[in-house]
Parts: sequence; C-alpha cells; structure tokens
Amino acid sequence: MSFTLNQAELGGFLASTVRVASPLLLAGLGGVLCESAGTFAVCIEGMMLMGAFAGAVVAYLTSSVVFGIVASMLGGACVGVLVAVCTGRFRTDHMVTGLAINILVLGLTSFLLRGMFGGQAPNIRMPPLAPWTVPLLSRIPLIGPALFKQPLLTCAAFLAVLPLQLLLRRTQLGLMLRSTGENPTAVFATGANPAAIRAWAIIAGGVFAGLGGAVLSLQELGTFTDGMTNGRGFIALAAVLIGRWLPVRTMLACLLFGATNAIGMSMQGWSLPVNSYVIQMMPYLIALGVLCCFGRSTRMPAALGTSVSTH
Amino acid sequence: MTAMLEMHAISKRFGSVHANHAIDLTVPAGRIVALLGENGSGKSTLMKLLFGIVRPDSGTIVFKGRELAAQSPKEAIAAGIGMIHQHFMLVESMSVVDNVMLGWPAAGRWLRRTEMATRIREASVRFGLELEPEQLVRDLPFGARQRVEIIKAILRGADLLILDEPTSNLSAPEVSSLMAVMRRLKDEGRSVIFISHKLGEVMEVCDEGIVLRNGRVVSQFEVGSVTRAQLARMMVDRDLDGTSPRAERPKGDGVLEVEHLTLSDGQGRTLLKDICFTLREGEILALAGVDGNGQTELVETLAGLRSPSSGMIALAGTDITAASTKARLAAGLAYIPVDRASTSIVPAMTIEDNLAMRDYMSRPWRRGILLDRHAFREQALAYIAEFGIACTGPAVTADALSGGNQQKIVLARELGRRPRVLLAAQPTWGLDPGATRFVIDQMLALRNSGAAVLYISAELEEVLMIGDRIGVLSAGRLEGIVPRSEVDLTAIGMMMAGAARERALGNDRRDANR
Amino acid sequence: MTGLEKQMQARDTLPWPERVVRAVGAGRRLQYSLLAVLLAFGVAAFFIMLSGKNPLLAYWLMLRGAFGSADAISFALNKSTPYILAGVGVALCFRARVINIGGEGQIAVGGICTTWVALHCGAWPGPLPIVLSLVAGALGGALWSGIAALLRIWRGVNEVISTLMLNFVGLLMVGEVLNGPMGEVGAGFPQSPVVPDSAFLPIIWPGSDLHIGILMALVLCAIGAMLLWRTPFGFGLRLIGASEPAARYAGVSLARSMLLVMLLAGALAGTAGGVEVLGVQYRLIEGFSVGFGFKAVAVALLGRLDPLAVIPAGLFFGFVEAGALAMQREIGVPSSLVNVIQGLTMVFVLCSIGLDKRRKRV
Repeated sequence: MSFTLNQAELGGFLASTVRVASPLLLAGLGGVLCESAGTFAVCIEGMMLMGAFAGAVVAYLTSSVVFGIVASMLGGACVGVLVAVCTGRFRTDHMVTGLAINILVLGLTSFLLRGMFGGQAPNIRMPPLAPWTVPLLSRIPLIGPALFKQPLLTCAAFLAVLPLQLLLRRTQLGLMLRSTGENPTAVFATGANPAAIRAWAIIAGGVFAGLGGAVLSLQELGTFTDGMTNGRGFIALAAVLIGRWLPVRTMLACLLFGATNAIGMSMQGWSLPVNSYVIQMMPYLIALGVLCCFGRSTRMPAALGTSVSTH
Repeated sequence: MTAMLEMHAISKRFGSVHANHAIDLTVPAGRIVALLGENGSGKSTLMKLLFGIVRPDSGTIVFKGRELAAQSPKEAIAAGIGMIHQHFMLVESMSVVDNVMLGWPAAGRWLRRTEMATRIREASVRFGLELEPEQLVRDLPFGARQRVEIIKAILRGADLLILDEPTSNLSAPEVSSLMAVMRRLKDEGRSVIFISHKLGEVMEVCDEGIVLRNGRVVSQFEVGSVTRAQLARMMVDRDLDGTSPRAERPKGDGVLEVEHLTLSDGQGRTLLKDICFTLREGEILALAGVDGNGQTELVETLAGLRSPSSGMIALAGTDITAASTKARLAAGLAYIPVDRASTSIVPAMTIEDNLAMRDYMSRPWRRGILLDRHAFREQALAYIAEFGIACTGPAVTADALSGGNQQKIVLARELGRRPRVLLAAQPTWGLDPGATRFVIDQMLALRNSGAAVLYISAELEEVLMIGDRIGVLSAGRLEGIVPRSEVDLTAIGMMMAGAARERALGNDRRDANR
Repeated sequence: MTGLEKQMQARDTLPWPERVVRAVGAGRRLQYSLLAVLLAFGVAAFFIMLSGKNPLLAYWLMLRGAFGSADAISFALNKSTPYILAGVGVALCFRARVINIGGEGQIAVGGICTTWVALHCGAWPGPLPIVLSLVAGALGGALWSGIAALLRIWRGVNEVISTLMLNFVGLLMVGEVLNGPMGEVGAGFPQSPVVPDSAFLPIIWPGSDLHIGILMALVLCAIGAMLLWRTPFGFGLRLIGASEPAARYAGVSLARSMLLVMLLAGALAGTAGGVEVLGVQYRLIEGFSVGFGFKAVAVALLGRLDPLAVIPAGLFFGFVEAGALAMQREIGVPSSLVNVIQGLTMVFVLCSIGLDKRRKRV
C-alpha cells in the first residue's frame, strides 16, 4: 500500500479540515459559554438547526445574506431563551430538556419550511458564500489556502476563539460566568444573580450555535434540508468535553474532527483500508476515551447540571 | 471613643421561637469581642441580623456612628462589615486571586491580576496571613481557605470582622496563626466579633464579651476579670430536671468495644481521633458536645456508613470493622440517624414501607424473589400498635405524620428488632416535649431490658438526664467518660468548650515557641 | 404527591390490592401528563394555522388516520411497540436516578445481533429461530448499556454523556455492518438480506400486519411493574430514587443496583430492536432505529416513570405518528408536526415535573 501526497492535495486537505471544523467550532464555542455557566449544552444541536433554518429562510426571502446571518443568530438565541426558561424557572433536567428541544426544533423547522410556503418546501438555491482571499498571505504554500482563503463565517469562527478565551479568563464578566458554573452560592454572596448569568450564557451560546448552523445552510450548501445538522451539535459537545471547556482547546478538538472527516472524504484517493463508518465514529470514541482517562474530572465545572436555588 | 458597633435591644422571632430577646452588644474600635453561647443560644441569628441576611423585629444597629439597616450582605459589606462564615463561599478550582477578585468592582472589568496579586501579598504580610495569590483554593488546607475569606473581607475595607466559629476545624498551629491575625487587625484599629463556644480561645485572644443563653444576654464580662470556670458555669448553668426514676443495674458485659478509632477525610483533616470506649449491656452511654465535633462521623462509622482510617470495632466479641451496614444490622446493631428528612425516613413512601426499609431483604418481609406485602402489612400494624404511631393506616405516606410520629416510625423499626446495641444520634431533635418524653422513655426501657445504648445529643440537659455514664465529644476526641454520680457540671462545660484540648494546644504552642 | 393523593391515601385503610392503589395513584399524576399533551396539541394547532390549514380538520384526519381502520390500528400498535419496550427500561433506570438515554444505540446493537442470529439459525426447528434471535437482541442491547454502566462504576464517567456517545457509535455500527459482512449483495441501499421466514414474528390478527410484539410489550411492562413494586430489587430502586442517603442507610448497594437496572434497560431496548427487525422490516436497514431512544425517554417521562403508565404513553406516541402520516397524505400538513407535538409534550411534562419539585420543597 503506498500513496503519494503532493503539495496541492495536502493543502486541499488542510483547507477542507478548516472548513469542516468551522460549524463545529461555532457550536462548540456556544457550548463552552453555556456549560461554563453550569448548563449542559445538549441543546446546541437544536440551536444549530434553528440557526440554519432561520438563516436560510430569511436570506431567501430578503435576498440578503447579512439579514440571514443576523436571523440565524436570533434563531439560536430564541431556542436559548426556551432552554433558559425551562432549566431556570422550571428547574427541569438539563439533558432531557435539551433532547426534547432538539426534537421540537427538528420538527418545527421541517414543518415551517413547508408550512410557510404553502405546503411545499421552496427550492432555495442560493450561492454559497465565497471565500475571502487575503492577498499575499494566501499564497503561502500549504497553509495559505487553509488559513487565508476561507469564507466569512469560517474566518469569524476562528477569529472569535482568542477573544472568547480572553473574555473568559481575563475579565470580571468571564470570572462571574465561570464561577456560576463552579459555585453559584459564591456568586450569590457577591450580590450578583447566578440565575440571570446562567440564562444569558445559554442565550449567548444559542447565538454562537445559530451562527454555526448558518455555516451549514448559507456558507456550505446554500439551502436548508431537513435535519441538516445531522448530529454535528453532539460532535461539538464532544469537542467541548475534549477541550476541557476552554475555547482554544475546543478549537483544536474541532480541527481534529475536521481532519478525521477530511480523511474520510478523501479516503478513496489514498486507498486506505479504513472504513468510512469507523472514521465517523472517531469523534465519539475519542470523547469516550478522554472521559475514561479523566474519569472523575476535576476540570468539569463543579455546578454543571445543577439548578440554582434563589436563596 | 465612640464604639464602632452598637446593637441595642435587638429582638427577633421566628414563628414561636424567640431567637433574640432584647440583646445589647457594644463593640469598641480596636477590640476583640467574644460572643459566647451554645447551639441555639441565638448567636447566629444575631449575626445574620447584623450582616443583613435577616431584618430585626425591633432594636437599632449603629455602625461607625450611622444607623445601619442593611437589607442585604452587599450593603453590609459596603458599610464595612465583613463576615467569615463557617461554610466558605469560595470557588475551589480557582486561585486565591481569582476568588478575591470575584464580584469586586475594584478589580476592574478587565481583571488587574498582577495588581491584585501584589495587594494580596502586601496584606498577607501585613496581617500574617501567609497566602500566595496563585495557589488554587482546592489545594489549600482548611485554615488557609479561611484566611482567603479574611483577606477578601480586609481588602474590601472591612472595619469590623465577624468570625463565626472559626476554629472548629483548625489544627493547633492554625489556631495560633488565626489569633495572630486577629491581633494584627486589632492593632490597626479594626474590631473583631469572635463567635465561639471555646473558652480557652476566648480567654486567650478576646478583650471582652457577652454570653448568650436562650436568646438572652446572661452576662457581660471583661476577660481580665473572669475565670474560665466562671465562664463555663455561665454557659451551661441550668437546673437539672427531675430525672426519671431508674433502676440501678449491675454492670453488664462489654458488648461494643471501640479501640483507637480514627477517621480522616480526603483533605487531611482528622474527624475522629483515637476514640476508645466500651459499651456495656444494660447501660446508656450519653455523649454531649456541640455539633460539628465528630458526633455524626462517630455514629456513621460505627453503623458502617463510613470506613475508619484505623482502629477496631467489635460487637459481642466479633470484629465488625469491615462489615457492611446490613451485616451489622443482622448482628444486632441498630442505628437512628440524626437526619429524619432524608435518611432515616423517606417521606414520600408509605409508613409500612418505611417500617420495612432496613429489613425488606430478609424474611418475613421477603419470600423468595418477591416481597410479601401481607407480611409488610402485618408487621406494620404490629409496630403501629406497639409504639402508638398516630396515623390513619399503614398505607399513608410518612410525610403526612408529625415529627414525633415520624420518629416513632424510626424507633419502631430500630427498637422493634430488639437490638443488642442502639446508636441514637440526636433522636429528640425537632420534637415537642411530649414526643421527646416518649423517645427518652423508650431509651430507658431498652436499657432496662439489657441492651446497650450510645446516645448522642447536643442538649446537655438530656445527656445528663439519660446517661448512666456521660462523656463529651470535642474536636473528634472522646473526653472524660464519668459515671452519673460523679458528674461535675463545670468540668463538663469546660470539656465541651474544648478545655482539655486547650491544654494540649497550650502545650503545642509552648513547644513551638521553644 | 398532591394534596388530593394524600387525602385519597389517607382514607385508605382497607387492604386493597397493592397494584390497584398504585395504578390509581399513578392516575392522579398522569393528569398532569394529560394536561401537557393537550397543551402541546394546542400550541401545535397554532403552528398549523400559521401554515394556512385548519387545525381541527387536521386533528380529525389524524385521529381517523390512526384509528380509522383495522389496518391503521395494527400499524399504530406496531409503531408503539418499540417505544413501550424501550420506555419501560428507561423508566426503571430513571427511578434509580440513572439517566440512560442510550436507547438508540442499544436498539441498534440489538437489531444487529437479532439479524445475525436470524440469518444463521433460520433452519432450526420450531420457535427457536425467533426465540434465539430475540434473546440475542436482548443480550446485544444489554452489552451496550453495560459498557456505559461499567464506565460509570469504574471511571466515574457520567452515564448521560457515555450513553449519548455510544448512541452514535451504535448507529454507525449498523451502517458499518451493512456495508460489510451483513449487507445484501447487489442492493443499492445498505440493508441486510431478508431474514428467513421462520424468524418472522407471528401475526396475531389475521389479515393485518399486527405482530406479537405488542403482546410482548404488555407482558414485559407487567413484569416491570411487578419488579418495581413487588421485589426487593425494585424496592431498592425506589429507595435510591427517593434518597441516596436513605438507600445507603438501608444497606442497598448503589453500584450493583445501577449496573443491574442498566443491563435490564439495555436488554429491553435490544429486544425492541429485534422486534423491529423481525416484525416490521424483516431485515436490518440502516437508520432503522433513529429517534427511538429519545422517544423512549419521552415515553418514560410521560408515563411518570410508572411501568404500567408507559403503555398508554407509548401508545400515544405510536398512534400520533401513525395518524400524522395519514394527515400528511390527506391534507398535506407535514408529518414533521409529529416531532413538534412530541417535543412540546416532553417540554411541558418536564416543566410540570419541575414545578412539582418546587412545590415539594415548600
């Protein structure tokens, strides 16, 4: 078994990795925000899907990508509001609520896609977002195209990582957010309202995840199809886990998953005797492996999954 | 010199309980004032009122010359009062500096970590706190965590610090450190309210104080002009109730032997220190002690819910140190836990299920692979009759019953099996006098029938009334078991206040200073 | 428990059969589930109106589509069967505070095992092919849930995350297996060969498609109820669910209980997978189990974790799905409305449980 890699192929592989990773990254960043404040982010799958739907439909109706992007953020935020109300005010179980809302969004998006357009899904066919080419830098061999010739949302995704990391670790706001996920009582003792902080974190997470959905519908395909997120939200969750709730590490995990996906896709060209299904399983198996190693994790936000009592 | 704090005629009721009754407290600037009292004397309520957690029904609080009507801890903090709770409000996975900066506007929107770290180091040196800003709270011992809370209060400008039972979990050297810190605060003109029941510490570091009992001030003192013994008497002085007539029993055989029992938790704290005693048939060994001195840990270890770090427990000659809860139950060891809300009773289950809760895996409740519901019903009816549990039927859920009747369920279940040894942890907690009487009578009846009872209570009166032998649990150590006839109230008061440990502490400190 | 239940139980001093008392008690709690269902239909009606259709007409057609004919009813009953089977397992898990959401993967692996045994044991006499295949399915599902249980016991891995991850692995394994050893050669679609006739589940209503699965589900629910209320093991589960300190005080082994209940739930889910293969599809098809696991959780919650109440809850899900397909055919209201209704129902049920918790604290 032998395979040759020329520079162009490798460059293409890297570019593909980055591209595939971007929706995961946006959803993952949303998950980091949500879980750092103490709410399990099982709902990001639904937030992503709603974002994909809202983005596609609004862009189609208004013929404006910008409006579409804004709509995707609002769509994700709305799902976030629903999650916040259920887990906050009604103290429902985070995991199961997330699952329920995912099913709800799955049905709702498919239903509205047809229902809003007289029973037949419209033929949305929009041009996917074109890549932005950074002059000079994108000519760098190998990594040039991967890093400097990507569409808007991908750039936004990767550019957001460092600011988010700084926000979480270097600002008072980030400190309060992380403390809410570790010990809400301590936050309450300072006079702040941990329940409100949690709610805002969920909604912010929804904004990011919605944007991740927009990557799929506006940037990649140019249309919306039923259930198009197809489990990516859960892969993003796995990335958050592996990345130990840190933005930079989550990004690395997403890139890893992007790479495994890219490997799978270009598998034929390389004649590797590895099954595509096994490749697809990798994210989940890796996540399980990490969990096994870190078992009783000391890194997990201590108050993740608990309800905040208002005493 | 005007006083820093003047609390005048403070009263507070919670329902029918008079937590505070016309309490006056004055704290001058630059002084350490003690607030002494047992559990339930009203100390915590008074401090909650000061710190804005609850509002007083009547009375005034004047702080630094201005009337203080704090509606929340935030306002109290802003006014310059800092409270170090018994349970810390720290984020374990974060560093000292992060914890100090949390929720503190002065740290800036964009956290000024290096600046804060410097300030922490400065304050640490100035007050002898020995804290490194980058240490994780999780890695700090208990005493150090407390100092993090103190530095938080100091940096936020607290002129008055309230320390609530600060030495409960500290080792001897840590207590010394804390006292040094308090003296430094005093030197700077700040004041400290030191809440405690430990006389030795009070005598050592405080300037003056008041003693609370049942929500009232029973005494004000200057440390220089009162003896330890006098203070002890003030705290525990009470008329002994007419004790119920008890038959004198000949000394039975030893049935529960405990030797060198030691228990440490995962963080290096020793919860039980070298406990040794023998419980004899037909006697009640009653242990007094303020909550948090190892009572729960002791009974849980004896009952099999915790594993000791070292030591041996033997029941009727058989070593049960490693035996499971079920095995100990089968061997005749019954246990009444202190927590009625969620451990000894399941309120959402029926009375008959609660009565069967510890025995359902054996006959007659179980027949083969199925439960024999008929047997459940019969046993329940029998217990209900024998112990007079007031209910409309065994199929009612336990949460419909009063506290006293719920405790009867526990008694019926544990006593109904005619155990050889009964471990009873605060069995009269939260019960009205009638129910309390019933429980005590049951204890005595059990003792008269030849079983042995280990009875733990924070109510000194009860301990004195019920024990054939009386001991004190203090800081995880079993101090001085004496027979009933040789009880000296003062000595007991001092033991509860940690006097014996104080002696040891004093020895340690002398050794350290050599 | 509500005040009404307390009053009701207080009046009970006669030795009624335990099961009746429990059933009536569950009935009171189910009234909140019913409320949640009605609310869900109400909100969904709003969405139907948004799409320009008449909700009352839509619901009528849904009802007719589900109940209108013997064929319709048998279709709906078949659809309900896996939900009930997997649901009762999840209900038992949740009772013991084990959040098992791995139904998807367990059903998938169960389906794989069932298909493999059926394909290889078709020639065996009598009912053996069916029995062995279903047992294989149960074992496969139990294996899958057992992995998550052991991870929790040995490494402290949160069972929610592990069952979630294992779901995807299980689903992908189906595709893997169908593209390889068990795939039908020459089919353009990942599926296995049809299982031998001897492995088909018997039809219990001649002339329809209604297979024996629904009876199995009913029997297993009854066994589940008996397990919960009448065996020491079930008593232990209830204790753990009520209060962990009380369970330890009573001498229950938390680890052992958790492992056993997870294995049981996995076996039930695996059986559900086997039933789908042997009774409906007659072969293993990629993606046959998608959505089942989460719906099992929904069914368990809707039935308030009572093994007997899981039956009407599962039937509700099955009939709504069957009716929705008919509704789509007749007036073009998209059948994805089903997911809307199911999702909304779950959300409202969860909120009512949450409210209950709040009231309990007061």
